[in-house]
Amino acid sequence: MTAQENLRATAQIARHPIHPMLMPVPIVCFVGALLTDIAYAMTAQMMWANFSAWLLTIGVIMGVLAALAGLFDFLSGRLIRSRAPAWPYVIGNLAALVISFFNALVHTRDAWTSVVPTGLILSAIVVVILAITGWLGRGLVYRQDAGVMK
Amino acid sequence: MSARSPQIRRMTGLVLTFSATLALAGCNDGSGDPAAEIGPNPTLPAPQQYLLPPMHIARVVGWKGNETPTVAQGLKIQAMATGLQHPRSIYVLPNGDVLVVESKAPDADPITRPKTIVTRWVESWATSGGDTGPSNRITLLRDADGDGVPETKSVFLDHLNSPFGVALVGNDLYVANTDAIVRYPYKEGETKITEPGTVLTELPGGPIDHHWTKSLVASKDGSLLYVGVGSNSNITENGMEAEKNRADILEVERATGRWRIFASGLRNPNGLTFEPQSGALWTVVNERDELGPDLVPDYMTSVKDGAFYGWPYSYYGQHVDPRVEPQRPDLVAKAIPPDYALSSHVAPLGLVFDTGSNLPQTYRGGAFVGEHGSWNRDKLNGYKVIFVPFSDGKPNGMPQDVVTGFLNSDNQARGRPVGLALDKAGALLVADDVGNTVWRVTSAGG
Repeated sequence: MTAQENLRATAQIARHPIHPMLMPVPIVCFVGALLTDIAYAMTAQMMWANFSAWLLTIGVIMGVLAALAGLFDFLSGRLIRSRAPAWPYVIGNLAALVISFFNALVHTRDAWTSVVPTGLILSAIVVVILAITGWLGRGLVYRQDAGVMK
Repeated sequence: MSARSPQIRRMTGLVLTFSATLALAGCNDGSGDPAAEIGPNPTLPAPQQYLLPPMHIARVVGWKGNETPTVAQGLKIQAMATGLQHPRSIYVLPNGDVLVVESKAPDADPITRPKTIVTRWVESWATSGGDTGPSNRITLLRDADGDGVPETKSVFLDHLNSPFGVALVGNDLYVANTDAIVRYPYKEGETKITEPGTVLTELPGGPIDHHWTKSLVASKDGSLLYVGVGSNSNITENGMEAEKNRADILEVERATGRWRIFASGLRNPNGLTFEPQSGALWTVVNERDELGPDLVPDYMTSVKDGAFYGWPYSYYGQHVDPRVEPQRPDLVAKAIPPDYALSSHVAPLGLVFDTGSNLPQTYRGGAFVGEHGSWNRDKLNGYKVIFVPFSDGKPNGMPQDVVTGFLNSDNQARGRPVGLALDKAGALLVADDVGNTVWRVTSAGG
């Protein structure tokens, strides 16, 4: 077994790695939820808060799937685990997912306090975390070839 | 509270929501003594906001065999009509005929967010034993000999639009559908109306029609109609535009259909009726949810012309609701507290004063209240008919249970009381929209 093989995505369909395929969906949803939260906080138009609620719900569902695929890669690839950014990438993304789950619950409240201030703050924290883990994840893939098919 | 600056209020709201976020919703909602929230000066705990609001509705089992509700001492109860389709309110005609309004909610509110899907699913547990058949009609019961067993039962009016309130003035019968007050010609003794109705005035209805029951009563001289229009949301989560002319009692000129807002800030007013001694208009009101098991107490109150009762901006006077934006300190300052709290989440939908002569003397002049029962607290509350004693036109003393046993010992719903009426003999009639029954309560001796 070569070192490269041990960096492979073990969660794959027809040699296409699953985690990188799913990962953009929750990222886009959670970034979108921050934007719609900000729009609601500025306008008090319920439409924006409803958008946030949908984005968070879909983001959490797709995030769970992405996390399962990612954890499968991570736990079955000893070499992936040994790369420096892997642990913070996993822990950061899981934290973002858990926070977003609670954020989705906060968004089930009615009207103003479904977003301001708690929901908005949680949305912002998640986007900050995702910016950091996205940076680390890029490093894992583009510099160290983790989860890449060759 | 009204004097506080917006910054301080905002800070309080911030602290409140943060602490609530940290406190995970557990199984026990920490509710206090419901009795502390009854009467003219209820104890109001600090509001809390949930991550997961308690959603506990009694599962429906229905009445089996000869089961009946339990009545207070000195009373007896029998079923006057069974097998109805979701009976919600009752109106007694001058000749003693009983009109039972069988009504179903209009098309559900649009799905605006994932929560709508979940709440719809939970609420579907609480409907009467499934979708039972044609409703949205008025059934006439005729009990000429007054023994509580109607000799005839006929469909009086059919194909209505989620009707609730009924009022007769002379030969004009008014039916409050969810979207309009409709007038029908009525001749005494009729068992069926075939003539088409005429719209007197339209009422706030769909496309969103959250609180859809339109309670109706005519003024003593018959010139005015009062109609209750419930809010279009729990607390403005469908947007402020959806609340136009809602959470109000409207006063409608019978001759012209022209109307004005008589009183506002009443979240979901039902059971409109006149107190016999003072002649004042009274209503029972369902207050807001998801602020805690003991908030906000539902209430009954006399309705003052031009008064504002708080919804959505505040409750019980100046208790500001942090969920409403933009806030309106000017309106909050004007808000007046209601007369008499009935405890939180009991969902009062029926109100009638004992003006008859059948029931025991202790009930004379007081109010019966039909409490449909709670969903937003772990310990069920309501699910019974209570009596509130009155003197000099005002509530005087604590309520007494009159009709109970709608829940069985496992807290499953055999029925749920809604609208109330007194029949010609003075017996108390109770519409049970889950048991699909009209119950008749009389004096045990008589």
